[in-house]
Amino acid sequence: MFSKFYESFYLKVLVNIVIGPTKTIVYIEMLNKSGLVNSFEEAFDTKYLSTEMYEFIHNYTKESPYFYISILDNSLSQGAIPTCSKHKTGYFHDLSASEYKCYKDQWTYYTAKTDVYAIEKVYEKIGVDFIFSPFLILANFFKDKVETHLAMFILVEEGTLSLSIFDNAKLLYSDHLDMNIEIESDDLIIDDHELEDMELEEDDSIDLDDIDTIDDIDELDDFGDIADLDSIDELDEFDETKDVEEELAASEDEEDFPIQDTDGLNEDYQRFSLIQSSVNNFYQSEKFESEFIENVYVGDGVGVSSDLKKYLEEEMFLNVYVRHVDLAVELCEITKMELS
Amino acid sequence: MKYSYIKPRNKSLLTPELQLLFVFFGITIFMLFTTYAFLLFKDYRFTQDRLDIIEQREETSDEIDLIENRITFIKEEQRLSEDVFTKNTVLKDSISNMFDLVPQRITLSEAKLLENGLVLYGITPNKDIYNFMLQAPLRSIFHRTYSSFYPAQNGWLRFVSTNYIDKEEEMFEEVKKDTQDEDYDEEIEYED
Repeated sequence: MFSKFYESFYLKVLVNIVIGPTKTIVYIEMLNKSGLVNSFEEAFDTKYLSTEMYEFIHNYTKESPYFYISILDNSLSQGAIPTCSKHKTGYFHDLSASEYKCYKDQWTYYTAKTDVYAIEKVYEKIGVDFIFSPFLILANFFKDKVETHLAMFILVEEGTLSLSIFDNAKLLYSDHLDMNIEIESDDLIIDDHELEDMELEEDDSIDLDDIDTIDDIDELDDFGDIADLDSIDELDEFDETKDVEEELAASEDEEDFPIQDTDGLNEDYQRFSLIQSSVNNFYQSEKFESEFIENVYVGDGVGVSSDLKKYLEEEMFLNVYVRHVDLAVELCEITKMELS
Repeated sequence: MKYSYIKPRNKSLLTPELQLLFVFFGITIFMLFTTYAFLLFKDYRFTQDRLDIIEQREETSDEIDLIENRITFIKEEQRLSEDVFTKNTVLKDSISNMFDLVPQRITLSEAKLLENGLVLYGITPNKDIYNFMLQAPLRSIFHRTYSSFYPAQNGWLRFVSTNYIDKEEEMFEEVKKDTQDEDYDEEIEYED
């Protein structure tokens, strides 16, 4: 009680740290009883607590005894499962070595205990008050859509993707994807293509005897189904699933935060590949309740190029809506929710 | 609802600056209280010392009284001893004088000194020597003198001389002497 009373005399300093593979963003908000007093943001070219970062944070935390340091969890072993029941969690993931929290008695997000300890150890000098899951930011950022839509929601962070599929606030599937790990596999894929090309070059001539034309003609009968595509009603229905409001908002967003057109190709394709494989996993796995996804909402925390949207639309026939998200600010919002 | 994987640390008002401030004030208050306690102790010690000194003074005063009493007593003793010494000296002189009275031909065998008298035992060649040479001076000193003789084996006489001084007579003589002096004074006045 006295603590709350004293707290009202001091500024509340919220330090939010988003750790990326190459840089760390520190966003600080200073609040008083009436609201925001000041905010500061600084990016540091390190993924650990450097002297400059310590000085920057300490400069503000010394202003008030009531300061809270929040970190966005960047663990690779994190995720979310569509149940809160302890009996069912084991079906989706073994949580014995994980820290986990239940979100509104609907779904559970988790991370590896060792990674939590690692974060606490790295930031031991300034201390850590909160560690939040990116899935929490995703659910909070797209709160208006999550609770009323069946869609896929993707939070694009630097080097990682947090993907989840919600059906009217019910989590169906989630996956945390790391781009750095997949790079190696992509390289391998490319290597395979190269090998195939090399093989093709070797076999210049095509053996016509190998082509079994008569058998393949039967398969062509299936093209008769093309007539079904003429049913325009279904196409209209397909169009109705489009979120016009979100499209409008996305176009405005593009003006405010111009999407990168160059240099993002490889990364975006990589992201697309990861999303595609994850969605395949969702459709194929029997663990998850499968629903057909038509819309995808992308929370862009790094400034992806328009290619990602293009890939998703053209390759996966999804309606894609991109919203720019400032991860540090959203982290701060979660901190405020936690403190309130 | 709690969203974080970890619990926040307890926030305390005691920032390092406040801690320093509290330590500083703590030390100052401690020193003030220490000084106050020291002064209280000194005051207590002073009061105790004062009481001790008062008690000592009373004791000393009592001792002085005692010593003064002893001095008075010793002075009294000294006076008494001087009196005794004087009396003894007088007695010694008296005895010496008494023995001076005894002629060479008479030998004393015993002498008893009484409060108001003297008893002499001795041997004399004959009564005349005793009467003339010893009794005569004794009679001049004592008011009453009694002598008795009995013969010794060698033909000499053993004698016992008992001599008394009458105090009443002595007092009467003193009174008589005083009245004579007064008559004499009256006569002188009458003549004037």
